[in-house]
Amino acid sequence: MTTYLLRRVLLLLPTLFGITLLTFLLIRLSPGNAALMRGGVGESGGHAMTAEVREQTIKLYGLDKPWYVAYGDWVGRCFRLDLGESFDDHRPVSEKIRERLPLTVSLAGSALVLSYLIAIPLGIAAALKRGQVVDRTISFIVFVLYSIPSFAAALLLILLVAGGDYLNLLPMYGADSINAPEMGPWAWLWDRVFHMILPVTCLTYASLASISRYARVSMLDALGQDFVRTARAKGLPERLVIFRHALRNALIPIITIFALELPVLIGGAVIIESIFSLPGMGQLMFQSLDAKDEPVIMGITVLAAIVTLLSYLAADILYVVVDPRITYE
Amino acid sequence: MNAADASHEVYHESYASRIARHFRADSFAQNGLRVVIALFIIAALAPFLANNHAIVRVADGRVTFPIFPSLEAIEWRFLLYVPMAAVVYFMRARFFQRPLLHFFFLVGLIAAIEIILAVTHPVNDPTNDRDRPATFKLMPPVPYSPIESTPDQFAPPSWKHLCGTDSTGRDIAARMLHGARTSLSIGFIAQSIALLVGVTLGGLAGYYRGWLDIGVCRFIEVMDCFPPLLLILVAISLFESQNNMFYIMAVIGLTSWTGLARLVRGEFLRLSSQPFPQAAQALGASDFRVILRHLLPNALGPILVSATFGVASAILIESSLSFLGFGMQAPTPSWGDILSDARRYIDFAWWLAFFPGLAILITIMSYNFVGEGLRDAVDPRLKVK
Repeated sequence: MTTYLLRRVLLLLPTLFGITLLTFLLIRLSPGNAALMRGGVGESGGHAMTAEVREQTIKLYGLDKPWYVAYGDWVGRCFRLDLGESFDDHRPVSEKIRERLPLTVSLAGSALVLSYLIAIPLGIAAALKRGQVVDRTISFIVFVLYSIPSFAAALLLILLVAGGDYLNLLPMYGADSINAPEMGPWAWLWDRVFHMILPVTCLTYASLASISRYARVSMLDALGQDFVRTARAKGLPERLVIFRHALRNALIPIITIFALELPVLIGGAVIIESIFSLPGMGQLMFQSLDAKDEPVIMGITVLAAIVTLLSYLAADILYVVVDPRITYE
Repeated sequence: MNAADASHEVYHESYASRIARHFRADSFAQNGLRVVIALFIIAALAPFLANNHAIVRVADGRVTFPIFPSLEAIEWRFLLYVPMAAVVYFMRARFFQRPLLHFFFLVGLIAAIEIILAVTHPVNDPTNDRDRPATFKLMPPVPYSPIESTPDQFAPPSWKHLCGTDSTGRDIAARMLHGARTSLSIGFIAQSIALLVGVTLGGLAGYYRGWLDIGVCRFIEVMDCFPPLLLILVAISLFESQNNMFYIMAVIGLTSWTGLARLVRGEFLRLSSQPFPQAAQALGASDFRVILRHLLPNALGPILVSATFGVASAILIESSLSFLGFGMQAPTPSWGDILSDARRYIDFAWWLAFFPGLAILITIMSYNFVGEGLRDAVDPRLKVK
């Protein structure tokens, strides 16, 4: 197991290398650079920055170096755990990310937990009532949910319950109320939760749909196995057959698909944050893309890639933990 | 006919016709396919369904057809869909004898037309026939052009504007009809690009194995570790000045081939260890022939399933991009673009969000139903209904 883990962790490095190289090349090959963006030069024709200052800025940012030298510098700094400084405001990238990360993590995390909590009972209920009205209703609703784009759902929810012509129950955008800094910790927490209800709902329902479809198939698969028939044949109560024999086996693949859901949630959070004007990673990414803020774009890419890679790794390890039949020897 | 022939008739069923038979037994999938075809026909006829020029106009004793000169030459070619759909419909019995072959022929033809269509822009003609007096005139069902501003701003849905109007008084129904072209063709072409890249790389990796396989697998891993949308957003926003339909199609296609490549690689690994490709090789068939004639046809079923779901997700990605403001350039109508407009006026203009949202929902759902039906038909063991 230890050798397996070691090998897997070492294999992460070439993948990370590939991801960062690809992103770096995209930034460098695209027209314009951070210095030009700051100076407002381009089609707009603004000349807020003299040629001399622009040259200095380009030199300062290392934009005059060929891409492979600049990429080498960046990798070297990464090994020293230094993601560099933002071109935009000269603050360390790690600090900028640290400010934004908690919001995105709590958004994606609570969506993941919620979708599991709702999806598994739904999937199991559908599997147990296979082919009956309950199953067909659940399957159809889940299918419809699965096909609604999250941003369309978000807009309609805002319209219906947040400040439109109809109900005005929930806040329309933002992560906190204006007077949040003066609130006590509990009032602040409640305020935050209140603001997060709509974004989390929008992020939850799509994963909920795919997890519950998965749970249903997995449970049906388990119910068709020989050991379930054996359990029934020896006269166990149906409750035990389902919860102790079938469910435990059905959960194995369901638990591990969180690894596939997490990247989807990160991608979805970008859109949701943009709709609800939440100051999370998604907003930081749009800002940095606009300004061609190379260090920040690279920092976010590395972080997202590491999270994705680690969740794949965690899924593989979880397989061994939850299923003693699997070993990596 | 003797008994032996009769039994042959009964028991011989090709892979493709088995898939077609199972598919036809699934009413959800059938209806999904009908809706998809209907959407394509609507997209093809959009200039005739929503236009501010009359189809027939009788004035001063002269009969004119003002709609035709108002169309760009390129829109004419897109109308090929209609005769094509008619051909498919009337020849359906013959098509189903070798459905997969014909299906791919059809897909190729649609792709070709789509590429021509991709450079189409809505006509911007300030004159309209709505208010011009005439003895007799027949207007299209939606008598507005998708880029024409009317004085009615933010009109709620009414008989005059079926789906309401937006901030500059453009008719939403007209924009929706024309937007169908954007969404459908981007979904289709992007997935065709993904299909081409995925099948080629996956096929080569699965067939030749060795270093090529390792290289392709690493590459797939790298691409897969970008959270969905992140790579697309980076690629599109950085090259923003070049945003056009081809570029968006290419970016979506070039970032969504990994699933297909994995699938094809797996199928090829499995198939190439079976006796039939080895027999073909022993008979002197070239690698090219073995791959194209022996391996690929046997992997077509799962590829088709994956590609169908892929079209749905490409449409979703395109509308997300337009919604975030990274999509098509301004005058081109697209469903995501209407939704992005809706965002600013969401507190009262519900029609701006509702209709395009519904259109996307119906399209994605139909494609997903077709995909599910195909999956069950390709591998009936997986059927969970």
